[in-house]
Amino acid sequence: MNKTVIILIALFLVLVPAQAVIFNNLILFNVALPLVFIYLIISLPVTLSTNWSITIGFVTGLAVDIFSDTPGMNALACTTLAFVRKPVYHLYMSFDDDLMGMRPSIATMGSAAYFKYMLTMVFIYCFMLFAIEAFQFFNFRLMLMRTIFSTIFSFIIIYAIDSLSFKRS
Amino acid sequence: MRELFDFFIRNSKWFVYAFFVVASCMLLFQGNPYQHHVLLTSANSVTSAVYEVSNNVTSYFNLREINEDLNRRNASLEKEVINLREQLQRYAEAEFNDTLATGRDIDHFDFIVAHVINNSISRPFNYLTLDKGSADGVKPELGVIDQNGVIGIVSGVGPHSARVISLLNPNLRLSCKIKNSDHFGSLIWDGNDPTMALLEELPRHTVFTPGDTVVTSGYSAVFPSGLPVGVILDDGRNHNENFFTLKVRLFADFTALGNVQIVMNNYSEEIAAVEQTDADSDKKRGY
Repeated sequence: MNKTVIILIALFLVLVPAQAVIFNNLILFNVALPLVFIYLIISLPVTLSTNWSITIGFVTGLAVDIFSDTPGMNALACTTLAFVRKPVYHLYMSFDDDLMGMRPSIATMGSAAYFKYMLTMVFIYCFMLFAIEAFQFFNFRLMLMRTIFSTIFSFIIIYAIDSLSFKRS
Repeated sequence: MRELFDFFIRNSKWFVYAFFVVASCMLLFQGNPYQHHVLLTSANSVTSAVYEVSNNVTSYFNLREINEDLNRRNASLEKEVINLREQLQRYAEAEFNDTLATGRDIDHFDFIVAHVINNSISRPFNYLTLDKGSADGVKPELGVIDQNGVIGIVSGVGPHSARVISLLNPNLRLSCKIKNSDHFGSLIWDGNDPTMALLEELPRHTVFTPGDTVVTSGYSAVFPSGLPVGVILDDGRNHNENFFTLKVRLFADFTALGNVQIVMNNYSEEIAAVEQTDADSDKKRGY
């Protein structure tokens, strides 16, 4: 558990500035925005209480918001993502194997379930974020395009990052 | 009461979630971006430090484009400078025309403004080229001056250009006098220094001090009298001879000539004719 906390702090310290400095500038074709920092929320241990994950989600989202000057947008989407994390996980995994405090990964879940879990999470987050964005500027076609292409793009990059950390462990 | 606590604990995640959603929405719908606390914007110290580090790295990435932009901007500004300079020159020429004619006996002199298009100072016999020629009324043996002093005398004229014997040419001897005295000598260049010339054949009894101004004498009908030429530099008089030779620092900066004026004496033909009559009568009397 202690090791997990350190890993999460390290992820926070790496992913949030990386999102601000690199990935926020990596917009493809004006629609695909890689939202990479949600890997932190995706990889929270399943046994972590929902209260804690919501708090971590809110703090992470707020940090990204501060960097990218979008007050509340990422915080709201992250809070929601952290809130639905457990139900989404149990869509693909039974309640029996709760991983004993492990973080979700290919090794602990199996690649098919893990991919489905990750893709669902990324899609939920992208949809949330661009739906919130639509409050300020509504363009349905643009919102749809952004959601779909950002989901794909984010998924690819998060998968790449995940495979890096998978090899390490 | 206990059941109430149990209820809260059991459903705590909903309350926590609601709390954070409300907090986020407060941030989201705060409206006026000027009222955001500085800690919640990218202007706070941590964020700006991170962005500064990243900017230190990324600012090199598009240097090529920035450089191109700067070059383009530079070119357009340079074009503008050239335009403005031309405009300025036109005004300067116009003003030059208006203001320089100030002498006492300047009335019968006309001035043509010309631009120096070629200039030499380093050869033993130096010439200038001007961009006005016979089509503009320039004739040989007209004086050329600029705002500082005498430049030279026109020697050859084409339709749209004129060659001028520079003062820095030993072929040109300019009749000069020291201001406020009527003793005259001739100014000649000794071939060494483009800022110096010698005033020769000055009578021995001339009274002067170093720093006195040397002006044109007006005896030649080429220049009006009193045009500044230079300033006496040192008291290099040789007392053994009947004539002094003085070093004169020229007013005109021959290394940077721009606009010049060609002096046209409207009476030059008349003066030449009068002088010719005298010479003829001298000849008749057998001198």
